[in-house]
Amino acid sequence: MSLAQDFSRGIMKENPVFKQALGMCPFLAVTTSVENALGMGAAATFVLVFSNFLVSLFRKVIPAKVRIPSYIVIIATFVTLVDLLMNAYLPALHSSLGIFIPLIVVNCIILGRAEGFANKNKVLPSIVDGIGMGLGFTLAMVIMATFREILGNGSWLGFNLLGEAYQNQPLLIAILAPGAFILMAFILGFFNIMEKRKRGGAK
Amino acid sequence: MGEIFKVGLMLMLVAVIAAVALGYVNSITSPIIAEQKEQAKLDAMIDVASSLAAGELQFDSLSVPNLANPYAEVDETLAVVSVTDSTGAELGFLFVAYGKGYSSTVQTMIAVNAAGIVTGNTILYQQETPGLGANVSNPEKFLYQFNGQNASSLLLSKDGGGLDSITGSTITSRAVTDSVRDGLDALSAAGLIPAEGGAQ
Amino acid sequence: MMNSFLMSVIVAVPDGGEPSFSIAKMMAIIVSAIFINNYVLSRFLGICPFLGVSKQLDSAVGMGAAVVFVMVLATLGSWLVYHHLLVPHGMEYLRTITFIIIIASLVQLVEMILQKFSPALYDALGIFLPLITTNCAILGVAVLNIDDKFSLGYSLINSVAAGIGFTLALVLMAGLRERMETANVPEALKGLPLAFLIAGAMSIAFLGFAGLGG
Repeated sequence: MSLAQDFSRGIMKENPVFKQALGMCPFLAVTTSVENALGMGAAATFVLVFSNFLVSLFRKVIPAKVRIPSYIVIIATFVTLVDLLMNAYLPALHSSLGIFIPLIVVNCIILGRAEGFANKNKVLPSIVDGIGMGLGFTLAMVIMATFREILGNGSWLGFNLLGEAYQNQPLLIAILAPGAFILMAFILGFFNIMEKRKRGGAK
Repeated sequence: MGEIFKVGLMLMLVAVIAAVALGYVNSITSPIIAEQKEQAKLDAMIDVASSLAAGELQFDSLSVPNLANPYAEVDETLAVVSVTDSTGAELGFLFVAYGKGYSSTVQTMIAVNAAGIVTGNTILYQQETPGLGANVSNPEKFLYQFNGQNASSLLLSKDGGGLDSITGSTITSRAVTDSVRDGLDALSAAGLIPAEGGAQ
Repeated sequence: MMNSFLMSVIVAVPDGGEPSFSIAKMMAIIVSAIFINNYVLSRFLGICPFLGVSKQLDSAVGMGAAVVFVMVLATLGSWLVYHHLLVPHGMEYLRTITFIIIIASLVQLVEMILQKFSPALYDALGIFLPLITTNCAILGVAVLNIDDKFSLGYSLINSVAAGIGFTLALVLMAGLRERMETANVPEALKGLPLAFLIAGAMSIAFLGFAGLGG
């Protein structure tokens, strides 16, 4: 498989959120604003790329029996790194992502890619796979956050789009917890329709 | 047995390398984080205190008993700060109020003048619901009403006072209002501001 | 004392100054963790098992029980390690890595012990245990207990309540999904989208509990 395919797979065809329903907790929790979505996406991508890199590099050294615990330690190390660096250089973002930074450890996407891809592949494809999956995750979060921030706050990435009047009476539920679930239902429904169309067209 | 030993050693090696690497990064970032927190607090103090008087101000920390500060045992530095101008004349006080809101403890920094009237405020920390309680960080939505109030007039209209709470966020609004009022009460109990502030 | 007292008591007391145990505070923690800030429907923790294991009522109950069990053990272990090992040595930054190791080994240990001494219980909970390591509600409750500066007693109460809240959401979800099995839903919304819609409706209902704290 070519590098280009390794890269693009995570963004569309095997998008971790929309196609595999992985990483749901941070996806639903931090998409209240596009800024948070970008921050979480960047943090997760960083962890994903480096954990894929190390797992792939040491895939022949780490004994199969302690494979999973070793991966968890590697992932947790990079998560802590992100946590410390973000706290030092981006304190505002760090405080608004809050508990979901340490929780990147249990994001199934990362362990999933370590076990499902980096474990069996060479270093370069693993890094590219990490970038692709990370971007796919980020893209999914930005799409969701776009809906939620515009509907729930009348703004996009902090820029006021719909005016003062809307901001005083926005569709608040989009930004609250139920809005996340309901919007996700419609987004997944939309993907189902697209899928069906594509299949229908191919016949 | 040798197998278990080898596997265990491997896992331990991974953990040790991880811990050493993190210890190194932490030694770099922890002074930056500490300095940043200090700087943020100082910036907030200067910003809020500028409502008391223009020009150069001096800060001096005091300790006041019974100021509602659940973290007093954790963070001693968050005591009351007295503000004086360059000649040493007393202008007022700064303090941080802690109110348990909907999903976080909201920390509000308040400037109060010697007559017991709130002149400035800012939110230092909150993790309230985005779109609802988080609006407390936007001064135009709620906190603007605090300026000019004293301990007896700081009350939500729902509780018989005159302040409008944030739409859909009574818990957050009440937490902030009550915590600030408790702080003012503690200041007057300590004799720093008049008990019944000079409501004009 | 003051109107906000019920809520303000939730604010924790730091380690060392062991607080006098207050029933009001305990109730506030329980109500908050189960209803107001339900871990699944309001905090978005543990969504994966919430969606994955909520197709049948039986397995939902089993999963819930396993989560409560591990949550309490994980809280106990992580609280003790954090306050008596990490804090005294100024190594708080190793929190994430230590907690996940504690949780992973606990799960493994529980699995082995159950298998050996209580095969019946192992048959009931066994298949859920491996899934629990990556359940972010477990790590979430361990981290939140530290962030909220809860004492050990309150941490344990909080973890039991969080587990019950998780189980409640899971069981309600499973009950609703079993009924929706036969319902006539648009083709595009079948499966996962429908599960999200149900979760959304439940989440709206749980928003109503917000008033309880005021």
